[in-house]
Amino acid sequence: MTKTKETKITTKKLNLFYGKKNALKDVDIQINSNKVTALIGPSGCGKSTFLRTLNRMNDLINGVKITGDIQIDDEDIYSNKTDIVALRRKVGMIFQKSNPFPKSIYENVAYGARINGINKKEWLDDIVETSLKRAAIWDEVKDRLKEMATGLSGGQQQRVCIARTLAVNPEVILMDEPASALDPISTSKIEELIFTLKNNITIVIVTHNMQQAARVSDVTGFFLNGELIEYDSTRKIFTSPNDERTQNYITGKFG
Amino acid sequence: MYHYLEEELQQLTNKILKMGSLVEEQLNLAVKALFESNLEYAKQVIEQDDKIDKYDVKIDKLCQRIFALTQPVAVDLRIILSALKTNNDLERMGDIAVNIAERAEPLKSHLELLRNVGMDLMAEKVRLMVSKTLDSIVNNDPDMALSVIKADDVIDKLERDIFHKLIDLMEKDASVIRPCAHCITLLRHFERIADHATNIAEEVVFLVDAKIIKHRKNLDDLDSNAEKII
Repeated sequence: MTKTKETKITTKKLNLFYGKKNALKDVDIQINSNKVTALIGPSGCGKSTFLRTLNRMNDLINGVKITGDIQIDDEDIYSNKTDIVALRRKVGMIFQKSNPFPKSIYENVAYGARINGINKKEWLDDIVETSLKRAAIWDEVKDRLKEMATGLSGGQQQRVCIARTLAVNPEVILMDEPASALDPISTSKIEELIFTLKNNITIVIVTHNMQQAARVSDVTGFFLNGELIEYDSTRKIFTSPNDERTQNYITGKFG
Repeated sequence: MYHYLEEELQQLTNKILKMGSLVEEQLNLAVKALFESNLEYAKQVIEQDDKIDKYDVKIDKLCQRIFALTQPVAVDLRIILSALKTNNDLERMGDIAVNIAERAEPLKSHLELLRNVGMDLMAEKVRLMVSKTLDSIVNNDPDMALSVIKADDVIDKLERDIFHKLIDLMEKDASVIRPCAHCITLLRHFERIADHATNIAEEVVFLVDAKIIKHRKNLDDLDSNAEKII
């Protein structure tokens, strides 16, 4: 795939080392705006590591060395000038295990706005309501915004976390197995949500659930041993992949 | 998980092949009944169609089960999709073999007419086509499948030739209208069998190469090693 004006994220010759272990090998990828890109591959293949390079979450791990380029909107996110807080505001993240703060539902969603200096109640109310609506959970929590977010079900907590991410208006959301700890109904709510969010947000999702990748994504990348083996439209990957290793993985012959 | 799917797909392929060879046997027996005026064979063909119908249902059920339990993708998905369609075509071919066998009785004293218009040639070519189609399934051989697809043009031309011969005969001699009318129906049956064989061959190409080639007028770009088989 060649770089076009729709390209949101570009990596070139991206390598990542955990100490001596080369966990990502020369990854070249172009991720398009307002699309859902799924990353699949067996455990330890580097897909989560790759995801975490996109908002510099790996910076927090000792002994990590990264070489190569990552650009988001033509900006080198590993440059010395990069404001990491601004980067993580622009590139939000949702994890496998929902991680609401031990605060009320309202305060969870208002948190980002507050630390950005917004304190006016009407504004905060508006941000909280809009974000919870965008995360498709407003109707379920609107009457108990002052209750602890940690008291919600797993699926609801995850959507509150998505609302919290949405509250700071990210352009990209990284999702690392966002539904793997959820029941099927909560899972399908998250999947529907992903489908609506992609209208104005670029989503990159790591998933072990192949059917989920097939259902929610427009483009799929298959990682194996730190290499990006195949990257193509989801339709192509799940009907007639080019690489035999991709075919073997998606048909369950290994992994 | 995978071993389960692998076994199910193997079972599916085996069933398709068994059904295919049953259809081939039925066709051969029907042709024999016709050209040897053997009504006992014809009766056998009619009675045995039941076996093919049972395979049809078994294969449908197996496909349904695999879909429901394993959500197959890529080549596994193509195996099932092509099995479903092949199953359909084989079942129709079995029915047509019965139709051919049913002509043995009305045409039993008209063997010369059959040979004169070239119906024996038609039967032989269609039988060969069916046999090569089954070979292409057994060997997952898209080149052989393309040979079958190309052979369908030969059959179509032969059908037109025989049709005109039959019309000529009927125009000249009204007393042959009845057997000739049976021959026209018979001709159509053979031609339809070749069409179903062609459909199956197209599924073989889809299964192996992931290409959908049905309804295409020109297949020259497929760069195949297809040979002339009939």
